[in-house]
Amino acid sequence: MTPIGWRILRVIAILAIVVWSLGPILIGISTSLSTQREVNAVPSHWLPAHPGFQAYHDLLGGTSGHAGGTVTEKGTFTRSVYNSAFLAAVSTFFILIFSTMAAYAVGRLRFKFGGAVLALLVGTMIVPIFVIVISLFKVLAEPPIGPSLIDTRLGLVLVFTATLTPLATWLLYTQVREMPPEPEEAALIDGCSRLKAFVRIVVPQMSSGIAAVAAITMLSVWGEFLIPLLLTQTMNAKPVTVQITEYVGKYSTNYPILAAAGVLALIPPALLALALNKRITGMLAGSS
Amino acid sequence: MTETSGTISLEHVSKRFPGGVMAVNDLSLEVEPGEFLVLVGPSGCGKTTALRMVAGLEPVTSGEIRINDRVVTRLPPRSRDIAMVFQNYALYAHMTVRNNMAFGLKMARLPRAEIRSRVDEAAAMLGLTDMLDRKPRQLSGGQRQRVAMGRAIVREPAAFLMDEPLSNLDAKLRVEMRGEIIRVQRRIAAPTLYVTHDQTEAMTMGDRVAILRDGVLQQLGTPDEIYDRPVNVFVAGFIGSPSMNLITARLAGTVASFGNSSLDVGERPGLSAYDGREVVLGLRPEDIGVDGAGSLELAVNRVESLGSELMVYLDSGVPGLELTARLERRADAAAGKTVKLPVDLERLYFFDTESGAAIW
Repeated sequence: MTPIGWRILRVIAILAIVVWSLGPILIGISTSLSTQREVNAVPSHWLPAHPGFQAYHDLLGGTSGHAGGTVTEKGTFTRSVYNSAFLAAVSTFFILIFSTMAAYAVGRLRFKFGGAVLALLVGTMIVPIFVIVISLFKVLAEPPIGPSLIDTRLGLVLVFTATLTPLATWLLYTQVREMPPEPEEAALIDGCSRLKAFVRIVVPQMSSGIAAVAAITMLSVWGEFLIPLLLTQTMNAKPVTVQITEYVGKYSTNYPILAAAGVLALIPPALLALALNKRITGMLAGSS
Repeated sequence: MTETSGTISLEHVSKRFPGGVMAVNDLSLEVEPGEFLVLVGPSGCGKTTALRMVAGLEPVTSGEIRINDRVVTRLPPRSRDIAMVFQNYALYAHMTVRNNMAFGLKMARLPRAEIRSRVDEAAAMLGLTDMLDRKPRQLSGGQRQRVAMGRAIVREPAAFLMDEPLSNLDAKLRVEMRGEIIRVQRRIAAPTLYVTHDQTEAMTMGDRVAILRDGVLQQLGTPDEIYDRPVNVFVAGFIGSPSMNLITARLAGTVASFGNSSLDVGERPGLSAYDGREVVLGLRPEDIGVDGAGSLELAVNRVESLGSELMVYLDSGVPGLELTARLERRADAAAGKTVKLPVDLERLYFFDTESGAAIW
């Protein structure tokens, strides 16, 4: 085929991917700006004739009489967004602390069974969480100390931290291996203890990797659905991914409200991904 | 800068790596007050390991290390009162030049004004005053090297350690920084242990030179001592550029012969035991063709002109062995020609073929 032929083919392929990925989002935005009546109209049409923010209004302010099937309450959606943000931020905070130190330890320090520790840690990534979900539920419901952690943000933070720390450690481990050891050795000679050299010299050296891992974990936590679905019951801890499902009514659903919730839930991770796009792809390609 | 004068001493220091490799084997040496001692050897000879043990970055398997008469063998690096310059500079990339240099002083909790004045003084000494607010990545290799030096000297340590600090620089800058390091070290007057694989650096910079091979100290002495009286074949071949010609020759009386050549080497006390046996004859390229009582008549294989002088490669007559002679530029030598060259018999070296030890 001629070079031009290839080019056309490539453009078509890219367009297909773009439509595939962005299509549902565009349909979601279009739906959220429609009314329930328009959505149900036959024959269906793609774009609302009179776009409006009624669905957003209903979602955030509570359902008015015409929402049909879907019940919303003022404050619940924002509370779920807050829960998601809280879970993403706090889990990421702990994940970063643990994974940075663990990656440094197995990547740099020489100690017995260091390799085994890493293998074990990475090995846990192979186990799908659903295999252990029943025991997980039991542990959280009846923890060795303290009250039940079901339906608490603390419980979810614990689970996310435990499940995402291995991935984060592994990503940062590769970075530690590529880092020259001399600056921290210079710091040791300059008067630092190991811990001080780690905090003052190593962590700044790892900052690009840490930023990428932070983005990856925040996005993962934000997108978590099944685990919080199983471990939460009320607005006390319910994240936005679970809350959205509440807008699916038993007999009928107000699609504009459902779509509006989806669109709003998408904004924070989209902004994060846009801001840190380069770092994330760099990290996943192994060349932070 | 205050006058510091301490010593670095290693006593029977050994390092065995897990897996059994003996990186440093029973190394004993002392860097005297204000002395610049160069530890030199081929790569993998254990010189960097030795330095890292002095720094405390590598645990010692056996032996004792003292800095300024204080035993530091088991102390962490920060408690040893040393400063080290690394091959790749090891600057703190996220800090400015000023903060790089001030870091150690901050760790030592010196008063801010004191830190400032010490950094300014060191920066002035190294010509870094205009760069104090830059980050390392905005500096050239030579400038980074200066910052690494500055970071070491502001600490006013009891001892300096340098691990091939010039090997990442280009040739011209390397010569320049050689002088600079010596100048700074003379001014600070702290004992310095300097590791390099470059024998030119060793010879030009060291008050004394220690030559290490496979973790074992071969010879310790001034550059002249090492050049003039190498204790064994290894040292003889390692020091000097181009390196010494080493020829296996058979001794009959006072006559040593190899290939089609023979030299009457005269009486030497050590050689009498070797009558009728083989010895290794050492002949420096610069001692051929000058003047002397002996002479060699050899065919020229090829000639390289360095401008100021000629490197002449001669057929020794022994299969596979080429001799190198360093002749003045107008010397009458061309490939294919046979030349008769005087040999300074006073400057011949002899070594045992088995042990490699020098025979005097």
